[in-house]
Amino acid sequence: MSVAKLLALDKVAKLFNIIKQNGGIRASLYKLYKQEELKDGVLVGEDKFGNKYYENPRYFYSRNRWVEYSEKVHLNYDASQVPAEWYGWLHYKTDLPPHQDPSRPHYKWMAEFTENLSGTTGQYTPYSTTRAKIEPWVPKPKTGA
Amino acid sequence: MLRQPLSRALALTSPTRAAPLAARRFAEQVQARPDNVEVFIDDQPVYVPPGTTVLQAAAQVGVEIPRFCYHERLAVAGNCRMCLVEVEKSPKPVAACAMPVMKGMRVKTNSDLTRKAREGVMEFLLVNHPLDCPICDQGGECDLQDQSMAFGSDKSRFTDIHFSGKRAVEDKDVGPLIKTIMTRCIHCTRCIRFASEVAGVDDFGTTGRGTDMQVGTYVEKMFLSELSGNIIDLCPVGALTSKPYSFAARPWETRRIDSVDVLDPLGSNIVVATRTNEVLRILPRTNEEINEEWLADKSRFACDGLKRQRLVTPMMADSRGNLTPCEWEDAIVAAARALRDCPPDKLVAVSGDLADAESLVALKDLLNKLGSENTCTEQYFPLEGSGIDFRSSYLLNTKIANVEEADFVLLIGTNVRFEAPLLNARIRKAFIHKETDVALVGPKVDLTYDYMHVGDSASIVKDLATGTSAHEVLKRLESAKRPVVILGADQLKTQEGSALLAYTQELALRLQDKLQDKNWKVLNVLQRTASQVAALDIGYKPGVGKVLEAGPKVVYLLGADAGVVTRESLPKDAVVIYQGHHGDVGAQAADIVLPGAAYTEKRATYVNAEGRAQQTLVAVTPPGKAREDWKIIRALSEVVGERLPYDNLDEVRTRMSEISPALVSYGDVQDNNYFAQARALAQSLQKPVSGKLDVQLKTLEDYFMTDSISRASPTMAKCVQAVLKQKQSPY
Amino acid sequence: MSARQAIQVGTKTVKPVLSSSQGEARSRVLSLYKAWYRQIPYLVKDFDIPKSDEQCRAKLKEIFLKNKDVTDIRVIDILVIKGQMELKESVKMWKQKGHIMAYFKPTEEPKPKDFLSKFFSSNE
Repeated sequence: MSVAKLLALDKVAKLFNIIKQNGGIRASLYKLYKQEELKDGVLVGEDKFGNKYYENPRYFYSRNRWVEYSEKVHLNYDASQVPAEWYGWLHYKTDLPPHQDPSRPHYKWMAEFTENLSGTTGQYTPYSTTRAKIEPWVPKPKTGA
Repeated sequence: MLRQPLSRALALTSPTRAAPLAARRFAEQVQARPDNVEVFIDDQPVYVPPGTTVLQAAAQVGVEIPRFCYHERLAVAGNCRMCLVEVEKSPKPVAACAMPVMKGMRVKTNSDLTRKAREGVMEFLLVNHPLDCPICDQGGECDLQDQSMAFGSDKSRFTDIHFSGKRAVEDKDVGPLIKTIMTRCIHCTRCIRFASEVAGVDDFGTTGRGTDMQVGTYVEKMFLSELSGNIIDLCPVGALTSKPYSFAARPWETRRIDSVDVLDPLGSNIVVATRTNEVLRILPRTNEEINEEWLADKSRFACDGLKRQRLVTPMMADSRGNLTPCEWEDAIVAAARALRDCPPDKLVAVSGDLADAESLVALKDLLNKLGSENTCTEQYFPLEGSGIDFRSSYLLNTKIANVEEADFVLLIGTNVRFEAPLLNARIRKAFIHKETDVALVGPKVDLTYDYMHVGDSASIVKDLATGTSAHEVLKRLESAKRPVVILGADQLKTQEGSALLAYTQELALRLQDKLQDKNWKVLNVLQRTASQVAALDIGYKPGVGKVLEAGPKVVYLLGADAGVVTRESLPKDAVVIYQGHHGDVGAQAADIVLPGAAYTEKRATYVNAEGRAQQTLVAVTPPGKAREDWKIIRALSEVVGERLPYDNLDEVRTRMSEISPALVSYGDVQDNNYFAQARALAQSLQKPVSGKLDVQLKTLEDYFMTDSISRASPTMAKCVQAVLKQKQSPY
Repeated sequence: MSARQAIQVGTKTVKPVLSSSQGEARSRVLSLYKAWYRQIPYLVKDFDIPKSDEQCRAKLKEIFLKNKDVTDIRVIDILVIKGQMELKESVKMWKQKGHIMAYFKPTEEPKPKDFLSKFFSSNE
């Protein structure tokens, strides 16, 4: 065991390395503010929404793959913003990330991924399909006025 | 009551019909009644006048004989044979509906022979009647169903398991109101008799004989009558059912609430059938004084208009002038502010044709408290002379039922057939059964019976009144023992209205003075709307002309949809408050809309054209945020700061009885007097008249859509289309 | 039923529940009231309800006075028994905070009384 390791200097070095990798003190503090976590890792890929996916096998399993959400959403990130194919990689359903996996099907009919829209104006609301008993009068809009 | 036989009814349309004067019978002419004869129904003695049928005699002791073709308001046909009964010493069973009683007759309505005869008839009827009760709209209210259970055989001889032999008949298209499934028809001919006797449209008949017999219209033709819906009620089976109501509900699922119709001025009694807070259909309720058991088509079928174009939430004009939904608080406060800031003489209330007496009283009280006297109705009535001071000047004084007793009816400027269909049915009844003659001054219209057309010039009325007319009608009127003069209220709108009314009064009272029967009233004014009489009783001023000229600042429309108050007739900055139940002319012109309840949704008083107060009952709740009308005005009054002193319906009614006890004496109608005074006051108004009389509703297509409810009804729109299409047809 | 039986039924004395006289019933009510009164500080503390002792005492008085017009001894006795049960359930913590708060009816809105508030709040 080296002296440096005894004095935990390697941890300090690692910290500096992490800060460096994240783009300096300011950027690191900003990242900490945004995602309450600061990690170093290899950028594996980026999806079309701008979310970046990292991997670092030094962390233990289940924490070694993570996502840093797009700058566009700022603090309004949400787990449902991860598209289905990257979800699979993040949760160890696949070894290969989607852009490197040739066996993934891409069909024309596959729907565009959307995040969960609950609580927004775009949310799904159930509606009745039965005819209303009373049809209300809708006033004609005044023209010109 | 003995009805005329079918042949008599069918022969009526011939113009050469002579009226045998000797045969005329008047109610008060005391005839020497021949002794009643004694007959025995199931050994119970009963005394009935000769000429009574066995069936009627049995009804008097509470024995009901089954029947299909017999109907007490129609001629006897005697073709269904269901009413066969055994009569002692008669070799064969006799048809009770057509057999007059004879002295000492012994009728057995429950003997083996009678029962066997009934079972036999029933079996023959069912041989060709489809077994589609589960999909038949008549199911549950079907005479055939009921009577086959009660009087039919308990076993079947039906062996046609391959379904090869039942008679099948092609369905007829008789318009958008009546659905026909002619295979179900049992040839009772009730519809034929109704059409030719009551409706006066001789379109129905039978073709073929035996198995090939069919009831129909000979050629494909719409049943062009304003009373067509009644044949649905008359049909004892499911051959004629209601098209708008088809496959909607079973009778045992519906709740039935007694109510009163408001779509014509007669106030026919109705039953509103509802389910899950929805009006499904409207049926007539028997009231001998008004509608007997009939109902006009508009009253019956316009109920789907109650579900469309409804005002369900208060609305206010936004900054761009568009009406947007809002809360009651906002609407009431805005309306109250408008009322309070308005100088009293610039404040006007206009009531429409469906307003109930409660809200009329509340609105008038509110305006009076605010210092305004400008409450008026859309329909005009001359205020010169006695004006609306005497009830007799604006009511049907003869009363609807008494019209039957008349021997001469003079119609002035009214198409009774479409303005009050059931009054026309009464006149037709008198015309057929009592030899009454009818004359008309006004445009030539089809009244379903023959009449003398005197002309359409108003000066004829003057000539008749002054006794200078050379026309035969004057002689007939003067010789009549029970004349009736009916003046259409629409004629009073014109400049000459007051003179016309004065002449009509003069004519009617001159005739009345000469009568032997001092209780007989001659003068009648037929109002056009259900609310007008109540409004005049309460003291609304008829007509809006004068108050609109004054340039009102705030106009409160209480269901005023006739279009007499328009934005163009008001100053630019006027505030229009509309209270009502349908989005129609009035709501479109309004700045503030307060949603009220329709007549099926409130307990409210309406006074019909004879001055009879009747009340509607709550059948369904008002839709959405709509409230009962008087409550809206009461709430508004409190926000304005002029609280009206009533919090519930009983207190409103107490207030109404203070204004006029007639408004709360439900079902009663009072005799009117003060004819002479009205006549005296009218003397000075007898100015020369020269105009022509015209009526608004000339033909059937004009009849269906006349108010905000029927204008919103898709069924009524279909009717208009169908009538117009029928006009194109060569038949 | 013969006349004699009818008289017997009419004059039959009912079996008392607990008390045999008005005074006895009154003393039972008062002792129940006192028991509740003494428990109030502990109840407030144990259930951690957002009410003060004074408020609880006022509520106690209100609930007791609600039945002030009851004169039938048997009814009073049953009410006392039920009150005793309530007290036991509260003291033994068989009840929960919500049950105690239910005495104050915090979610119950008073029904509108005058015409205008009825008009605005209900569908009448």
